[in-house]
Order: sequence, then structure tokens, then C-alpha cells
Amino acid sequence: MTRSRIRRIPLDAAAVLTVLVCLFPVYWMIATAFRPTGDIQSANPRLIPYTWTLEHFRTAVDADGFALFWRNSILVTASAVLLALVVALGAAFAVARLRWSGRRQFMLMVFIAQMAPWESLIIPIYIISRDTDMLDRLPTLTLVYFMITLPFTIVVLRGFLGTIPPELEESAQVDGCTRLGAFRRIAFPLLAPGLMATSLFGYITAWNEFAYANFLIIKQQDSRTLPVWLSSFQNTFGTDWGATMAASTLFALPALAIFLILQRHVTSGFASGAVKG
Amino acid sequence: MQPLTRERTTAPGEAPAPRRSRQPLTSAPAPARTLWPYLLIAPAVLGTLYLLVHPLLRALLISLQDFGLRQLILGDAEFVGLENYRTLLTDPRFWEVVRRTFVFMAINVALIMVISTLVALMVERLGRFGRTMVLSALVLAWAMPVIAATTVFQWLFHSEFGVVNRSLRSLGLDSFDRYTWFASGPASFAILVLLIVWQSVPFAAITLYSALTTVPAELHESARIDGAGARRIFRSITFPMIRPIFMLVLSLEVIWTFKAFVQIWVMTRGGPGDATTILPVYAVQTALSAQHYDLGAAASMVTVVLMSGVLVAYFRQMYKQEAEL
Amino acid sequence: MKLRLLAWVSVCAVTAGLSACGSSGGAESGRTTIDVWLMRDSVSTEFQKDFVKGFETAHPDIKVRIQIQEWDGIGEKVTAALASNDAPDVIEAGNTQVAQFAAGGGLADLSDEVGELGGKDWLKGLAEPGSYEGKQYGIPYYAANRVVIHRTDLFEKAGIDPAEIKTRAQWTAATEKLDEGGTQGIYLPGQMWYALAGFVWDEGGDLATESGGAWQGALDTPEAIRGMEFYKELQALGKGPKDSDEDDPPQADVMAKGDVAQIISTPGGAKVITEANPELEGKLGFFPIPGKSASKPGAVFTGGSDLVVPAASAHQDAARTFVKELTGDTWQKKLAVAMSYVPNKTTLADAVADDPGAAAMAAGAAENSHATPNTPAWAAVEAENPIKDYMTAVITGGSAESEAKKASEAITRAMNAGS
Repeated sequence: MTRSRIRRIPLDAAAVLTVLVCLFPVYWMIATAFRPTGDIQSANPRLIPYTWTLEHFRTAVDADGFALFWRNSILVTASAVLLALVVALGAAFAVARLRWSGRRQFMLMVFIAQMAPWESLIIPIYIISRDTDMLDRLPTLTLVYFMITLPFTIVVLRGFLGTIPPELEESAQVDGCTRLGAFRRIAFPLLAPGLMATSLFGYITAWNEFAYANFLIIKQQDSRTLPVWLSSFQNTFGTDWGATMAASTLFALPALAIFLILQRHVTSGFASGAVKG
Repeated sequence: MQPLTRERTTAPGEAPAPRRSRQPLTSAPAPARTLWPYLLIAPAVLGTLYLLVHPLLRALLISLQDFGLRQLILGDAEFVGLENYRTLLTDPRFWEVVRRTFVFMAINVALIMVISTLVALMVERLGRFGRTMVLSALVLAWAMPVIAATTVFQWLFHSEFGVVNRSLRSLGLDSFDRYTWFASGPASFAILVLLIVWQSVPFAAITLYSALTTVPAELHESARIDGAGARRIFRSITFPMIRPIFMLVLSLEVIWTFKAFVQIWVMTRGGPGDATTILPVYAVQTALSAQHYDLGAAASMVTVVLMSGVLVAYFRQMYKQEAEL
Repeated sequence: MKLRLLAWVSVCAVTAGLSACGSSGGAESGRTTIDVWLMRDSVSTEFQKDFVKGFETAHPDIKVRIQIQEWDGIGEKVTAALASNDAPDVIEAGNTQVAQFAAGGGLADLSDEVGELGGKDWLKGLAEPGSYEGKQYGIPYYAANRVVIHRTDLFEKAGIDPAEIKTRAQWTAATEKLDEGGTQGIYLPGQMWYALAGFVWDEGGDLATESGGAWQGALDTPEAIRGMEFYKELQALGKGPKDSDEDDPPQADVMAKGDVAQIISTPGGAKVITEANPELEGKLGFFPIPGKSASKPGAVFTGGSDLVVPAASAHQDAARTFVKELTGDTWQKKLAVAMSYVPNKTTLADAVADDPGAAAMAAGAAENSHATPNTPAWAAVEAENPIKDYMTAVITGGSAESEAKKASEAITRAMNAGS
């Protein structure tokens, strides 16, 4: 008993270290956001703030256009992710369940598409959007984010589909369902957690995107998104690290929340046990 | 409750499990003559053609033209053949950037893969409570948006009020009093590596851990009975089993670190000097800041070629694997 | 069930996303709306409000929508705007940027407004960079150069008379005396390159020199290195961060905290300081940046902005009306008083005659004013700014000679790349 305990010490220590390293930056962001300015700039920062304040959050929320940019970000991100999910689901089904010539080439294309140098495509996309009168519009951003996240979504969804045994659908087909009907009734519910897990990735990517949002939204400042706001916020409130961290916290919050919420869904979906393979 | 432990068992990529049952069953229905698969991939293909291939061709075109601010505004670009590539490839600064990109990528990927494999192995050995804690911490770090994380790292390493300098000073290292991290090339480089590793390890570790859970425990047992040490077991049993996922994660990390841009742009803009300028940063600097869109486009074309070069072995293997499915 | 729900939600979200285009500007019940981009802190909110109100009263058919832009990354932003089909109608551009945009063909030629606006009296430092190949694209908006803003109470306590500070030697001696206890003698961030440029010019050096049409970085000349050495010496007399410029953190905010005796700033900075900390009201004074000898004040960079009208603006006439109004005599006088700027015409200088900040500024501007190299290529140097890296490298202990050489090479490369 004691010996095995002693043997576990290095392991536990490593686990504690991992948790600390992962969480410290997140914690420090939130802690700074709640700290009074005097405390932030004191010579000996305390790990846990003495007094808590909401003042920085007030500064951040009161800054110009906060609610609007928040709405824009959610709109763009949600539409891009859903669009990618719907399109990827069809493609993933075709790749994982159907046999057709060109399938290998298609998957290769998907993999290669992951390498797209998006930073350098800004100018061509700018020119194309300009020539089709799509500058300054949120749908343009939606389409770009859709394309950025699509390849990864296809790869991951196909992975999930691969884990659902086709036998399940085949037995449903024997019971008189059509191929798609069987897929919808049987595989889709099992896939729902996979869809959610996949959407997380697209969500994070789209939520974060800065370069396109900064370059394609020019004149309509009302169409800006949060990353652009965060960066201009930093310019305006340069010294005010408390407010900057509060803004970062508000920006990170939806991501942190969605991850935690979906994590539960995903777990419960798999816990139902039908997918043991 | 074991949040996430199962979820990832099946997560990204080709888990080895399904292949066993697949072959005889899927090949049975659906002879290839139907339109369905093509209809299903049509939106993805059309989207890719219009939103990716089209701009990419446009970028290729720009890289063959004399294309600056004037051409962007007025749009009367002239073809100059391979002139831009010649300018680029004869510029020693460009090769310095290429070298730095590979060093940056290699350091990051090596650290990410080693650390995440260790973390994955560790999580597997932890009790239920510890596992939940570590996995939740990983998920939170993973969920942290890049821009927010980058801002936080800037704050951690702030020369005057940053917690890092203060902690080092309170440990008696007085030379870190108001030490300016971002003024030193190697220090900025190191901070960026730290940031990217910190952001990338969670995804890699969780995916590898889920792959580990698919390795049957009996295999370990029997090997241990045969007297194999932990290292030996990992090398000859565990690793071969998780190899496909390991390779997938590895190649994704290669792609992602090769393309790391936002972190660098927000934190250092490639500076000080050129110390943190890697290819994507170089391309954006050349195109957007210096308004040589032609050279920037050429640089990104070269980037794509170099990256494909690194990954060509992987693509070949993947292509073969796809044939087997 | 779940599928249907998901499909429904996605359709809704996608259509919502696709239809949520920003409301387009333009005509609205007969009024023309023009979009104007001004730079952060170039005018106070109060002045902006007054001006817009005055303008819209005088021109009831035009509605003005002002958007404040950040200096950070502004070159890219303006480029994107100029190349678009629906550009903003008036843009404030730094005087050193105009040539580049004009050369790119993105600006409307405003030459025919010059006569009406009295262009012959414009400040040369603004009018010249605003013209390209004989045509006027940028209309002078305001100018300012840097002075030393100091705390009169701290000077008095230390027994120093600011009027006596005429040379660099006297200046460093005074600053050293002030830099004591909790007080910083001067808050000089490591990357304030306009201040460095002044010291370099004082020594007889320059940032870049032209010979035979090719530009070459000149920071590695002995003169320029002496300028850098002085900067380093001065920088050490306070706690200015070595790795950032005056905007990060905004130096006026730092001085507002109360323990800084001097900063190098445009006189307008004093207003920002007292706004942030009203206790400093009446405790701020100005003097020109001292030169090497008492006979000549230190060299200064005449910074400032021009107003430009993008060629792609849909409301050229309204845009011109706006430019004429804001750069016309009436509002120029008010602007100069409100912001302690140098008005855009030499003939308007009286407007700020009894402003101490402006007086200090005028001393430098009149006797020793300089500009950055007048070529479209200079903007590329500012975009990348190797000068800032150079300054930080030297201040943190690097060798001035080798770092200067590196920086000069970077400048040469940036100015001659491609084109």
C-alpha cells in the first residue's frame, strides 16, 4: 500500500504540474481581469487578488460597439460552422459509406486543402470579393471561414463515421429503410456527439480569425468582429492591462463555456454504449 | 463520470478499430454507377473550387505579374514571367527565413509530440479523479482563443508588470528586473515556441490518449508477464498500435506550425529584426506592409511547395491506406 | 427529430448570416452621407462634435459619419479602402504616407482646390509631401512637432529654471538632478524614433541618403551613431520601457500618474495629461527640445496629417466640401487652439500666439525643422520599422556600430525592394 503510494508520487506530481501549466495562463487572465488596477501594478503580485472588482469589465463592455461586434462574431461563426457541418456530413458519408471512383482523389484533395496558405490568399480573396461586390459584408467572412474549417471537418467526421459499424444501418435497411433513411435513423443520432465535437474546432477557428476580418471589413465598422475589436481595444487601452484582460476574458468565455458544455454532451452520447464497436 | 475519456476514443482520423469489420460488409451494396456520392461531395468540391482553388490560381497569377499598390487599385498588371521567383530565390534574406521556418517547425513539432505523448501516457495511468482533472485542464487550455492566449502571454512576459519577471526577481535573479523579453531575438523566439506548444499540446495529447485507450490491456499484461520493461512495451506494442493516429497528429502539427501566423503577428510582427519571421509572416510583411503583392504571392507559393515536400511521404502513405478501406 | 432540428437551425443561421449585410451608406432622404476616417487622438471628441455640428448646419444636405482609425496597421487599412469600389470619402493620412498612395493612383487630384484654399501659404512640411508629380493630392490638415513637456512644480522643487535649459548638456544635467527618489527625470520609451531622428539631425546625420536615385540607410554614419548615444544616455534618466514606443503605453497616461518630470511630446499631450489627472492642471510647462549649442534649438520632425479624397469615393463633391471646410481658415484656427497644433498656413500662426505650448513648438519648427526622406519608398520603412528594433538593441546593451549597420541595411532593403 504505502509502497505503491510512494511509487505514484512522480506520476501525481506530473499530473499536478500538467494541470498547473495548462491552467495558469487562463487563471492569470481571469485573475488580472478582476484585480483593481493598483494591485495589478504592485511590486509583488499576489496569486489570489485581495479585493475583487468589476471595474475592468465595465470598461470593456462600455467600449464602443461591444454588443454589436459580439453579435457579428456569433452570427459569422455559427453560420460558418453549421454550413461546414452540413456540407462535410454529406462528403464524409460518401467517403465512409459509399464506393465510387475518385474517392481517393477526393480525400487527397481534402488533405491538401488543409495546407492552404490562408494568410497569403487575403489579396486574391480581397480582389475577388471586390469584383463581386462582396466587400464589407459579413457573408463574405462566413464563406471564408466555412472554407477554412471545411477540410478538417470532413476528416474528423469521416473518422467518427468510421467508428459506427455499418452493420447497424444494414440491419435497418433489411427492415425496409432506404439507404439514406437508415443513415438518418441509425447513424445520425450516434453521430451527433461527433458533430458537436467537430463543430468545436470550426468554432474556435472562426471565432479567432483576425486577418480577414480586419482586411475585408473596411468601411462598415458596424460589421466588425470581436478579434478586430480586441486588437483595437488593446491600442486604445494599452496600459490598462486589467481592461485588456477583461476583454480577453469576455472574448474567451464563449469558447471555454461551449467546450465545457459540449464535452458533457459528447460524453453522454458515447456513454449510451451503442458505439463500442 | 469520465468526461472525454471515451469521446476521444474515436476522435479524429482513422482509428484502427473499424477496419476489422469494414471490408466484407461495405463492399457489398452500391455498385459505383450511382450519382449519389457525387451529389454528396458536390457542395464540398464546388466550395473548394470557388473559395480555395480560384483564389489560389489568382495568387499564382499575381506571382507571375508585376503587382503592387498601383495594380491593386487600377488593375492593369503586366506579366513578368518568373521574375518574382528569381528575385525571391536569389535573396539571401528569403533563405534565412526558410531556414528559420524549418527550425521553428522542427522545434515545435518535436516538443509537441514528445510532451503530448508523455501526457497521454500519464493520463492513462492516472486514477479517475486525476484523469478528469488533467483532461479538463487540457480542454480549457485548448479552448482558449489564440488571440486571447497571445495577449495573455504578452502580459505574462511584460517587462515591467509581468508575473514572469517578478517571479524570477523574487527568486533572487535580479538581472530579470524589468528584463525586456521581446527585445531579444532568441527570447522572443522561445516565448513563441512556448506559446505554440502550450496551445497545441492539448489537442495532440487528448487525441493520442484516446488512441491509447484502444490498445487492449491484455497485450500489456502478457508482455509484462514475458518480462518486458515499460520502455520495451511502449516501443514494441503500444506505439505500433497508435502509429496511424500518431502520424495523423504529427502531420497536422507540421501543417499548423508551418503556418503559425496569428501568434507571431500579434506578438512580435516577426521582430525584433527578423528573429521570429517565418514564411507566412514574411509573405504577409512583403505583401501587405511593403505592398509587393507579387513577391508575397510568390513566397506563399514557395511555402506550399516546401510544405508539400515535407508531407509528401505522409500523403503517399495516406493515399495507399485509402485504397485499402 | 434531432436531424430536423439541426437542419432547421442551420438553415436559419446561414440565411441570417447571408442576409445580415451592413446597412449601406449613401443617400437617405435626400442627404448625402459621407464617411470620414480620422486618426485616433488627432482631434478631441469635443472638437469633433463641434465641427460636425457646425458643418452639418452649414451644409444641411450632407451628413457626416466619422470613424476613428488606429495608427497600428493603418497602411494596410487605407490600402484596402483605396482599392475598394466603395471607399470612405475623406481620409486623414500621415504626411509621409500620401506620396505612396498618390503614386498608386488611389487618390483624387485636388489641384484645382489649391487656389481657393490659399495653398501658397501652406506649411511646406505638409504641402510638399501631399503633392506628387506636380499635382496636389493631400490637403494640409495640421502639423505639430515635439517639445519637452515638463512639470513646473518638480522643476521648482529641484531649483531648476526651464528657461535656462538651452543646450543638451544643461538638459541632461537638469534631468539627472530631477531623476531622484520616486521621480523619473524623463520618461523616454526606447523606441521613440522621431526623437532619435531629431538627435541624429542635430549631429548632422540623416536617416537615409539618396545618391543617383538609390536610397541608402544612413544610421551607421558616425553622426547618426552619436545621436543614438545621446538618446541612450537620456533614456537612462527615467524608467521608460526599452522595448516599446510612446503609444504603448500612451506616455501621457504615464505622466498623468504624477511621478514623471518630463516627456517629449507634441504640446497637445498636455491636454491629455490634465484630462487624465486634473490635479496636474497648471503644473505643466513647455520648452523646445534643446540643441547642441544655445544658438539653435534641437532639430525636430514636422509631423502632421493631410486630408485626402480616395478616387473611389462615391461622393466626390461632398468630400471636397468637407475637406475645404476643415482645412479652411475658420476651423483651422479653432483646431489649432483646441489641440495646440500648428495651423496649416503660416498666415494663421497668430491664432496660437499666446499658447505656451505652441510657442515652444514654433521655436523648433521655425529654426530647425526636418522631414523624413521624401519618397514613396519611405512608407515601407515605417511599416516595418527597423529603426525601433535598432534603438531597443542599443539601449539593452548591443553594440551601436554593428546594430546601426544592420538597421541601415534593413532600411536600404526596404526602400529599394522591388519597384
